[in-house]
Parts: sequence; C-alpha cells; structure tokens
Amino acid sequence: MSSLELTNISKRFGAVSVFQGLSLTIAAGEFVAFLGPSGCGKSTLLRIIAGLERADSGEIRLGDQRIDTLAPGARGVAMVFQHYALYPHMTVRENIAFGLRNGGAPKAEIAERVAEAARVLEIGPLLDKKPGTLSGGERQRVAIGRAIVKQPRLFLFDEPLANLDAALRTRTRLELAQLRRRVRATMIMVTHDQVEAMTLADRVVVMNQGEIQQVGTPMQIYDRPANTFVAGFVGSPRMTLAPVGLVPGDARFATVRLGDGSQVSTRVPRADLPSEGLLLGLRPECVRLGPPRPGEPTAQVEFIERLGDRTLVYVKLGDGTAVTAEDKGASQAQVGQTVGLRLAAAAAHLFGPDGRGHHAAGRAG
Amino acid sequence: MTAAGVKGPSLAGFTPAGLAGVALAAAVMITPLLWTVGLSLKPNFELMRDTSSVFGPPYTLENYRAILANSNVFRWVFNSTVVSLSTTFGVLALSSLAGYAFARLEFRGRRALFVAVLLGLAIPEQAVIIARHQMFSALHLHNTYPGLILPGLSAPFGVFLMTQYFRGIPVELDEAALLDGASHFTIFWKVLLPLTLPAQATLGIFTFLASWNDYWWPLISATRSSMFTLTVGVASSQMNFAQTSGLGYLMAQAVFASVPILIVYALFQQHIVRAVAGAATR
Amino acid sequence: MSAGDGYRGRGGLVGYLFAGPYLVAYGALLVYPLLAGMALSLHKADLFGGREFVAFENYRRLVSDTVFRQAVGNTLYFTLLTVPALTVISLALALALNKAGRLAAFFRGVFFSSSVLSVTIVTLIWRFVLTPDGGLIANGLKAAGRAPIPFLSDPHLALPGIALTTVWWCLGLPMMLFLAGLQQIPGELYEAAALDGTSAWRTFWRITLPLIGRTLLVVVLIESVMQFQLFGQSQIMTQGGPNGASRPIVLFIYEVAFRRWDVGYAASASEVLFALILLASALQYAATRERRR
Repeated sequence: MSSLELTNISKRFGAVSVFQGLSLTIAAGEFVAFLGPSGCGKSTLLRIIAGLERADSGEIRLGDQRIDTLAPGARGVAMVFQHYALYPHMTVRENIAFGLRNGGAPKAEIAERVAEAARVLEIGPLLDKKPGTLSGGERQRVAIGRAIVKQPRLFLFDEPLANLDAALRTRTRLELAQLRRRVRATMIMVTHDQVEAMTLADRVVVMNQGEIQQVGTPMQIYDRPANTFVAGFVGSPRMTLAPVGLVPGDARFATVRLGDGSQVSTRVPRADLPSEGLLLGLRPECVRLGPPRPGEPTAQVEFIERLGDRTLVYVKLGDGTAVTAEDKGASQAQVGQTVGLRLAAAAAHLFGPDGRGHHAAGRAG
Repeated sequence: MTAAGVKGPSLAGFTPAGLAGVALAAAVMITPLLWTVGLSLKPNFELMRDTSSVFGPPYTLENYRAILANSNVFRWVFNSTVVSLSTTFGVLALSSLAGYAFARLEFRGRRALFVAVLLGLAIPEQAVIIARHQMFSALHLHNTYPGLILPGLSAPFGVFLMTQYFRGIPVELDEAALLDGASHFTIFWKVLLPLTLPAQATLGIFTFLASWNDYWWPLISATRSSMFTLTVGVASSQMNFAQTSGLGYLMAQAVFASVPILIVYALFQQHIVRAVAGAATR
Repeated sequence: MSAGDGYRGRGGLVGYLFAGPYLVAYGALLVYPLLAGMALSLHKADLFGGREFVAFENYRRLVSDTVFRQAVGNTLYFTLLTVPALTVISLALALALNKAGRLAAFFRGVFFSSSVLSVTIVTLIWRFVLTPDGGLIANGLKAAGRAPIPFLSDPHLALPGIALTTVWWCLGLPMMLFLAGLQQIPGELYEAAALDGTSAWRTFWRITLPLIGRTLLVVVLIESVMQFQLFGQSQIMTQGGPNGASRPIVLFIYEVAFRRWDVGYAASASEVLFALILLASALQYAATRERRR
C-alpha cells in the first residue's frame, strides 16, 4: 500500500498535447476514480502510470520510489484491462501464475498464492478451465485474480464494468466494493460512468480535455462542482445552467434575476462574485412544481419523463430559458401546462464567465 | 460449405446430369494415375513388346522390389526431407520473429522495411536465380544442404502472413504480459506465438509443399546425384531413360516418389487447400 | 494509443533483433541477387569470372535473336492455350462441386490432388500418356482403329501436349479459388431467382458470374503469371523441341545461363521476363480497380 504522486506530467501524441504539467497526489490505500468523457485523457493517464505509455516529461512516485523510469512489470502495479486480456491458450491457473513465474517465484509459493487468490475471489472451480469457456463475470474475476496475486502496491482498473450487462454490472460493483475492503491497496479506476465513480471511489478526479477539472469526494464533486463542466457532467439529468444578471445591492448573499425577470435569492456570498456573465446552476431536485405564484418564475411544460419513483419535467421560462424540474412519481403535470417553479434557492450555484463555480456558504461536502 | 444451387432429391445434391459430368471428369482426371500405377505393376519385358498388356495380368511387384533393392531414390527422399523440413522450420522461425517485430515493435525504418519486404512478393525466381547461382558458387555452397535450404528462407510471403496475423491479436495481451513482468521474448514466445498456431500450420504446409516440389533451384545447385532432391532425381532418371532400362521401373519410381506428398496431402487436405489458396490471393 | 512508446522497444534495438534474421536473409538472398542480376545484364560475363561492361548490348542482341523471339512467341501462345482452358474448366467444376456433402468433398479432393505433385512426377506420368509409342492415348486410338498422334515430336503439337499436361496439373488451385468466391454469394439470391422461375442458365449469367467477377480476374491474373513462367514441363518433356517449338522464355534463360554459360546475356533475358510479368500484373491490377469503381 503506497501513495502515488504525479508531478508535472506532460504528454503529446504528435502535434496533439494530451497533458501539460498535470500533477496529482493519491494517498496510500485510497480508491480514486478518473472520471470523464471519452477522449479526456483518463485512459492515457492510467497507461502512463502503468508504464504502457511514456510521459514526455514529469515524474511518478509510488511510495518513496520513482517508477516512471521502470519497466511496466517492475513498478509494483497491476492492471485489470477493459477486455480482461486473459491469455486464451492458458488455463485460469496459468493465467494467474504467469506474472509470478516471470518474476521467478518458487513453485510452492506460486501455488499457495494462486490458491489464496482463488479463495478470495471464489474461482477455485474455474482454475483448470480456459478463459474461452468462462462467462463475462467469471472472466472479470479471473482478471482481478491475476492482478491481486501479484500483491501490487497499486491496482489499476480500466473501465472494469463497461463490458458487463446491466444486471451483472450492479452485482460486480458491489463485489468490487467488497474486494476493496479485503484487499488493502491503493486503487485507481478509469470510468466514464459517474455512478461507478460516485459509488466506488473515495475521491473522484474529473477530467476533461487532458486537464483535471476537480478532485474531491463524490459529495464534494456533486455539491460544489468546481466549474460548469463538472456541474454538467456529474449528476443525471444535468444541472440546469441559466444565464442570470446580478441584482445590485449590498446584502451578504447574491440575488440574481432570471431572463424572464423573476429573482432568485441565493446563499452564495456576493463578495468575490464577478458582476457580469453569471450562470445560475440548479439541480433538478432543487426545482419543484406548483401552481403559479406571483414573485416566482412561471414556465410552460415542454416534455415529461416518468421514472416511477419520480418524474422529470422539462420546462421553458417565458424568455425561452430551459429548466429541468423534478416532481413526485404520480405527477399531474401535462405538456403545454403553465406551472410555477419553487426553487430551493439556498442550494443554487453560480458560475462566473470563466466557468468557475461559487457555492452557497456553509455547505461543505 | 453451404449448398447453393438446385437441390436434387437424392444424389447428395447433384442433378443426374451434373453427377454424370463430374464423374466423367473425375475419371479423366484419374486415368493417367491409374495408367501409371498399372504400368508400374507390369514386368518390363512385356511392356517393351506392347503397353496394352497393362489391361490384363500378370502383374508383379518386381519393379518396386528393384527400387527397394537399389536406387538412389531413398537418398533423394532423404535429401528432400532434410531440405523441406529445414526450410519449413527456418521460414516459420524467421517469419514469426519478423512478423512480431513488424506488427508490434517500434524501430527506425520499420514502415519502409515492411514495404520493401512486400515489394519482394513481386520478384519472380527468374530475376534472381542467375546471380544467386554465381553467389553460391563463390561461397562453395552448391551440392550442400545449406545451398539447397537458404534460398527458400528469403521468401517474403511468410513475413507478410505472420505480420497480418500478429496484427489481428489484441494488443491488450502484450500489455497484460508486460505488466506481468514478461520480456519481449517471453511475450513473443509464451503469449503470442501459441496464438498464431493456425497461421503457423498454413504457412508450414505451404512452405513444405513448395520446397518439396521445387525444381529449378535444386536442378542447378545440386549437380551431384547424391545431393539430388526427389524432384531432380526423378527428372534425371526420366531424362536418361531409354526403353531398355524399363518403363515399369520408371513408373514404379513415379508412384513411389508421389507417395510421401500424397500422404501429406491426405493428412492435411483442408490446410493445404487453405494454404495454397491463401498464398495465391495474398 | 500511438506507436513510438517506450515499451515497444526503446531505441529500436529489440525490433532489429527480431526482424534482423529475416532481413539479412531477404537482403542477401533476394535483394542482392536481384540487383546483381540487373548489373549482370549489362555485362558480357561467363561463369568463370570473365566480365566486361557492354551496357545494353545484351538487350540489343535479344531483340534480334530469333531463338529468343521464338521463345517469347511460344510463351504467349502457351499462356493463351492454358489460361482460358484452366479458367473455364475450373469454373465449371467449382459450380458443380459447390455443395455440402461427402461426395462433393471427395470430388474436390480428386481434382485438387494432382496439384500437390511435383513437376517431375507430372511430366513422367504424362510423357507416357502422350507418347505415340504405346502411350495411353495411343492405346485408345489404336483400339478405335486410328493412328497414334506424335504429340511431343510434332512441332505443332508439342506445346498443345504440354498445355494438356499443365491443365491437368494446375486445375485444383483455380477451382478452389472459384469455390471460395462462390461461397461468398448469399444463398437468398438463388432462392429469389428460383421463386422468379429463372432458368439455371440465366441464373449463371445474371447472378453468379457478375458476383464472382473479382475472383475471375484474380484467377486469370494468377494463372497468367504462373503459366508465363513455364519451365519444368518443357525442359523435361521436350527439351524445348522439336526445333525450339516448345521452348519458353524461362527455358531459354536456363539454357543460355546454365548450358552455354553466357550468364550476362541470360540475365538480360530474365530482366525482360521480369518486366513482362510486372507489366501483366500492373495491367490486370488496373483492370481490377477499374471494375470495382
């Protein structure tokens, strides 16, 4: 179990710069998810840590050892590949033992460690089968077995759940959470699925276009998104981002005016807010429906999604601003209807013209 | 194979006319072989008088006994075996190593070298054989096994085939092995090579067949009877043929010389068809 | 994922180690002889090291050499004799044998079997099929009360005799190529044609043939290049005779180089052959591309 420290990592593919001076520290024993859309560089970063790609500059330290100069197999890092990458011509046992054999471990020790890994993952009965005969979930376990048998200081998971069907994905997610408790190691997972990242990781690193957008616990990411990208990427359905004007005044907290003229009194301190180009951020659960009331925004229902336990209602303000609202499962809302919006203004976020997030005071994730 | 075309009620999918035509063609195809076998089973003196005696007894194994008793044929079969097996293993080894390099490794000039190798597919034997003969003369390689084996190792087809095959194997496997601490050679030998067995079989059989049946190069390189391959040996005995030395004996030699390759064909028929067709349409 | 990353062989040394053995063989045994042969064709050279630069004199000699011109003519004639016959017969066989079942597989095996024999065995068999002196065909003609035909000793029949031998020997490969092509045609097309009441003949011309057009071109290309390189059959069965009537280019090269030891001159002839083969391949390749557009 070791901490991981990335310092000033830069990487280009030809003319395209992927990272420029990226730095990140992960504590020993932490489970961190790299979250972002495809092409954001999260997989490349994982592969740089594994040694499958070489950074153009920068330094990687695992514990007190610099590893970026070492061969992939010498870094004390194990990786579970997206498509598992099991050796098709070897039995499960040989697959798991392969790394230990390359390391020249004694036979008795190899047998013992393979047996231990098989016990932890409950794959004992599969040991003499070939990967081709296994189900997707079983292959996943074997791939994990191949990783843990090496007792690595750092585990890397590349989209571990992406190849499983929906039912299996939920189960495997739980298993990964349990595995995490049993195997004491630092873990990094790459995913484009925010639910995986939020449910499994201690901390989430949100990435976009080769840059780290925010690092934080799942609740920090959700409650205090650092910028409009994080705000829009995390949370489903997306947070509403509506252009607003700052209402002049000298109150401690900012009041803003929506496009249709209605005012929203946020709990965001006015002190260091820019005065122009603001966006108001509202999660759907902070926008409820009711009969129109003076002083509150009214809107017209455009589209309704019934999810059973709740209903998502997409509405438009008088000036055309789109807002996503949430209603109870048995919502009465109808398309075309005019409704009043009850905003939980205290939970509203503001974003400056630079995209930076400003959040309600006193709420910490 | 899926059936396409008119399906008859019986006759294994053939129409009566179709079956008759195919059977006739097959008979025409096989008749020269039966004729050869028939002649080989006749006493030589009878054939000298009239070859139509082949259509009735007496038959004899005397000609085969003569081959077993004497003859360079065994020596030639041995030479052909040594040359063909060595060429095959050599081509498999060189093509696999180079295919792995071209498909998986980075080195200066890789692309250009690969294109150069592909261009080699268009070079016919006639364009190199004279200079190669001179070169081997200078190196005193004629009438030696290396002299017969080496030219076959330069054929680009195997490299082309193996490179394509290695490219079809997911790179994730190499990467998993790298993280498992495997060296490039371990990745090649233990992880990827076992997965190329189908291509190895195709290439191996194709190379063996081509080498076994090669004629021109052994004809000019092996000039001593003891170094003849079977093809050259059989050619030499028919060129020296005079009616007196025995037509039956000569035909027995033809049959005897066909047996090894026909056994190989019977064993690997599916592979051979695929290999030859694959090589032709590269 | 791009190339050029460390683990794929830092500095390229590993790559050279793996590719090196073949590249050495390729360079020494194919590229060097190719270039040396080109140089040789510009020299008057014999086997014993005598060498004199004569520029294009050898090529000038070739143009006026009636023996060489006859060999070129023979080669073209032989290609014309064999390629259409091979194409038509092998296509017919493929059409007849494109079926599931053991019987069809057995017949496919029969028609391919001659292809695995070496040229020397094939010629040995066919010399005594063709010979007027008690050969198989002569026996058949005799039974029918006809005179034997002196295939290999008649200047007009020597190349046709060799062509017959060659067709028998080479049928298997084009048949297999056609079978592979026919397998690509979806069965539904035939079912649809059958529902429309299309005759078998019409089905062949309107459906099968257009859909295996590419295979057809490939077969013609491969067979042309292969038959252009006729050598063993002539060398063994007729030694190019009678009177040069069955001497192809490759046999000319062989005789000049390894019987008369005029290696520079032979090299120039082999360069001409190389150019002709490349030209044929290029033409056919262009035709294939034109068709596919």
